[in-house]
Amino acid sequence: MSNVTLRIDEHTLTAPKGSLLIQVMLDNGLSIPHFCYHEALEADGNCRMCMVEIEGQKRPQIACNTPIKEGMIVRTTTPSIMQTKRAILELELRNHPVDCPICDQAGECSLQEYYMEVGLYDAHVAKSDKIHKAKHVDLGSHVVLDQERCVLCQRCVRFVHDKAKSADLVVTGRGATSVISAVGAFTGNGYAMNVVDLCPVGALTSSDFRFAQRVWFLQSDASICHGCARGCNIHLDHHAIKGGIDTLYRLRPRKNSAVNGHFMCDTGRISYKSLNENRLLEPHVEGHATSFSHTFSLLRRTLDDKSQTIVALVSPHWSLENLASVKLFCARFEIPLFGAHEASIEPSFADEWLRVADRAPNRAGLELLGIDVSPHARDRALSRAQVVLDFGHDATLSSMSTRYYFGTHPHSDAQMQLPVAAYSEESGHLINCDNIVQHYSGSVKRSEPLLSLHALLGLLVMEGAWATQPFWHATLIDMAPSLEGRL
Amino acid sequence: MSFALTPAHAQRLEHLRSRYETPRSLILPLLWMAQTQEGYLSPEALAFVAHETQLCVADVTSVASFYTMFALSPQGHHTIEVCGTLSCHLNGASQLIEALQKTLGITLGQTTADGAFTLKKVECMGACHEAPVVVIDGVYHARQNVQSLTTLLEETRS
Amino acid sequence: MSHDLVVSARFGIANSHTLIVAQAHGAYTQLSTLLAQPPQSLVQTVIDSGLRGKGGGGAPTGAKWQLLEGQAKPRYLVVNADESEPGTFKDRHIIEHDPHLLIEGILLSCHALEAKAAYIYMRGEYRFWHDRLQSALDEAYGAGILGAHSCDITLHRGAGAYICGEKSALLESLEGYRGQPRLKPHRPEPEWLWGRATIVNNVETIASIPYILYKGAQAYRAMGTKESAGTLLFGLSGHVNRPGVYELPFGMPLLEVIETYGGGIRDGRALKAVIPGGASTPVLTAEQAKNATLSYEGMKLAGSALGTGGMIIMDESTSMVDALDNLLAFYRHESCGQCTPCREGTHWASSIVHDIARRQPRSDALPTLKNIARTINGQTICVFGPAVADVINGFLRNFPQEFA
Repeated sequence: MSNVTLRIDEHTLTAPKGSLLIQVMLDNGLSIPHFCYHEALEADGNCRMCMVEIEGQKRPQIACNTPIKEGMIVRTTTPSIMQTKRAILELELRNHPVDCPICDQAGECSLQEYYMEVGLYDAHVAKSDKIHKAKHVDLGSHVVLDQERCVLCQRCVRFVHDKAKSADLVVTGRGATSVISAVGAFTGNGYAMNVVDLCPVGALTSSDFRFAQRVWFLQSDASICHGCARGCNIHLDHHAIKGGIDTLYRLRPRKNSAVNGHFMCDTGRISYKSLNENRLLEPHVEGHATSFSHTFSLLRRTLDDKSQTIVALVSPHWSLENLASVKLFCARFEIPLFGAHEASIEPSFADEWLRVADRAPNRAGLELLGIDVSPHARDRALSRAQVVLDFGHDATLSSMSTRYYFGTHPHSDAQMQLPVAAYSEESGHLINCDNIVQHYSGSVKRSEPLLSLHALLGLLVMEGAWATQPFWHATLIDMAPSLEGRL
Repeated sequence: MSFALTPAHAQRLEHLRSRYETPRSLILPLLWMAQTQEGYLSPEALAFVAHETQLCVADVTSVASFYTMFALSPQGHHTIEVCGTLSCHLNGASQLIEALQKTLGITLGQTTADGAFTLKKVECMGACHEAPVVVIDGVYHARQNVQSLTTLLEETRS
Repeated sequence: MSHDLVVSARFGIANSHTLIVAQAHGAYTQLSTLLAQPPQSLVQTVIDSGLRGKGGGGAPTGAKWQLLEGQAKPRYLVVNADESEPGTFKDRHIIEHDPHLLIEGILLSCHALEAKAAYIYMRGEYRFWHDRLQSALDEAYGAGILGAHSCDITLHRGAGAYICGEKSALLESLEGYRGQPRLKPHRPEPEWLWGRATIVNNVETIASIPYILYKGAQAYRAMGTKESAGTLLFGLSGHVNRPGVYELPFGMPLLEVIETYGGGIRDGRALKAVIPGGASTPVLTAEQAKNATLSYEGMKLAGSALGTGGMIIMDESTSMVDALDNLLAFYRHESCGQCTPCREGTHWASSIVHDIARRQPRSDALPTLKNIARTINGQTICVFGPAVADVINGFLRNFPQEFA
């Protein structure tokens, strides 16, 4: 499609003909107050907040319903358009309680932002004119609605209808007494909590996160959900209270048009809890906590004892770097290594949108690195194994085998357990179900520092370079040349 | 309790199916049939409509709640609607409402304790030349005054 | 003043709503002849007649019909029988007394528009008229006037929502959604029902088609004024002696109509104000009404709009604050709630005027009210918002002393 050039205030911009003016402004970092418009949803035009002046048009126009044209001249800051925006904002705020200090949305609220932006005014609304509605409606699926804070932009309703295809969140009533309602329990087909991100004000909050933490305290890492092979791009929001442990408070979707758009499923969103809780933090031998040096010497002794049959198993839950390190490690000690496949396949988890049946985030990576995934060879090897080096796989072993476990969570059936960093605490690459290589990084700090699997294995073999990114970058391309340019 | 259409309504529904391009368009006809049968839209009726239109109950409820003639809770045996919009207002609708509230001992929107009457004030009924108009169970009664209304109420009761 | 009756010619005939009586008095007599003519020639006659939409907007019908040119089939005709504008009660008279005129108008219009089917969307309160029209449709189907060789006509009942008189809201409702108006297109185009090109016309507009096609464009044009051709069913209500509907040619003096047809003001009182064309047209003072004529251009000149032609007459005893309070309660009740300025502005304006009516206004009531009117004017999805602004501004401008 051809490009057109237009002027917006003092900026001259070029964008594809027919693009929506509001999207062109947002893409170019220009300020345009709006509530109902969201680039993932169709324009609805109900909030009337994105008013602009367009030369040649008698009245102000909404930018979300204006396709751009060649030579268009747009003004957003004239006194008259500022007055218009102020007046509309005043109507948006008419029923809204003025209680930002106790609102969970404070700090990421569009109302608050625009209030500052278009200018303050005296309150003309008599308290008696406000319409009182329900303050705490538990819609289901961890979503809580404050009807008084709602500006009825219907992003949530449109998302549920158009994206989640569940239609169980709707507007009921009419006129000024309209409210967002769930008739029955709101499920959003397993995508319900996205409405919390979509809500531009503090009307929809997550009962999981609500009042847990002020958003401005949170540190945010760009990561990848490990809940299935889709690999939804996410923000990991975490914070360490002074002297306390660094805690994950929530996962939020991070926009990636090629993978998950703006969204993620509720299962993935809630999955952060397991990263906070019940973690394996110290090495254990025979069920008792012990030191790394003790565990290492025991492990080295086993590895050097050629009379023992050792087999290694690795799960598709690790990053390419970790998988490669396992591969190098096993090669060095001539331990047969097998990848594990079928355990993470869960057909009932799949849907027609983001969720896929493969609950492991890096099966494609496992296969690309040439790790043997044939079940027959693996089962034959396991049946003879005296020691199984288990890299997070959790397979059932025969009674004659002893398990040495490398993982993030305790294992009940392991002779030795070595704790490693979870994905929220390290960086790496994954290959998703569509063969897209994705990078994640996490900076959550445990009070007991945990090493990435590849760094831990590096320590064992006394290879300092194994702790560095450049080494793995080169090694991965060496193992799988097709990764060149994709890391 | 489940909901089912009367044979006549079921026949009407089959007739209407071919008239609309989508089953969704059957919402209003179906809601009318249900309300005519039960006096209001019960949860069972809403579920039935949702099934027939291949929609979810929330969606049907959302539509039903937009239209003020649909009742989502049980109503009195008779519904009295007094038009209160300008032409009727100019011709004494307020006095009628006042008198009715007194006679029935209820306020607007309420139902008498015996369940006989629900009283409503409604917006323009399109009978401005017959102001003030009172609609009882869907039937328009033109040019009412307190006296005529009292008679009408008696007739309705018996 | 003698003139042809375009839509009310059979109103006075006993049982005119039945097929046999209607046929005895001319209904359907030229139907088959006209249906044999090329559609475009019928469209041309309607263009030439100068017919303007009779639902309140007054847009030229022929030009609207031409929007279907080149549009794919199937196409639909939707007849707007959602008559809900306060002061308006004309379409129900056509349906009550001459439903076959409407059916004939639909058949002719569908032929002209090459429409596959027609839907009549009627307000839910009109139960009696719904049943009457359905009986007429059943009769027409029984007599073979409707059926295998014609388009189907389906009567669809609304359920209490003024906004469904707005054509895009009506179509949303017909599709089974909440009756909320759609965003306006950027260039002229037809309406869309299930994604098909559709024309929405008012009952009286469609009921005018048989006359125009039977008698010719010139016969219709011969009545009324140059810009407002033909006739309209005018309505009189409020403080008049003989409220009712009267089919009159456009251009008659407003006061003459009140006197001659309405029988003058009730109880010999003086006229104070007139809302000339349904609640959404700005109120006129008695002074403004003096020189006003009942045409689109005449009402514009007088400072209001012709609207639906449904006049609400108010005598000297009327409190204008009370009247505005009453009207805003209507708009508050009927705002669909979709867009913010209308949803919040209408409710807020209503609260403010209600406070004024109770003599408990806030000190900034009037400037706030004016601000609201400015904000909802032209900045909403549909014309409901601007109508509310016009209503408020009309009262404040013309009766400032009562709001002081």
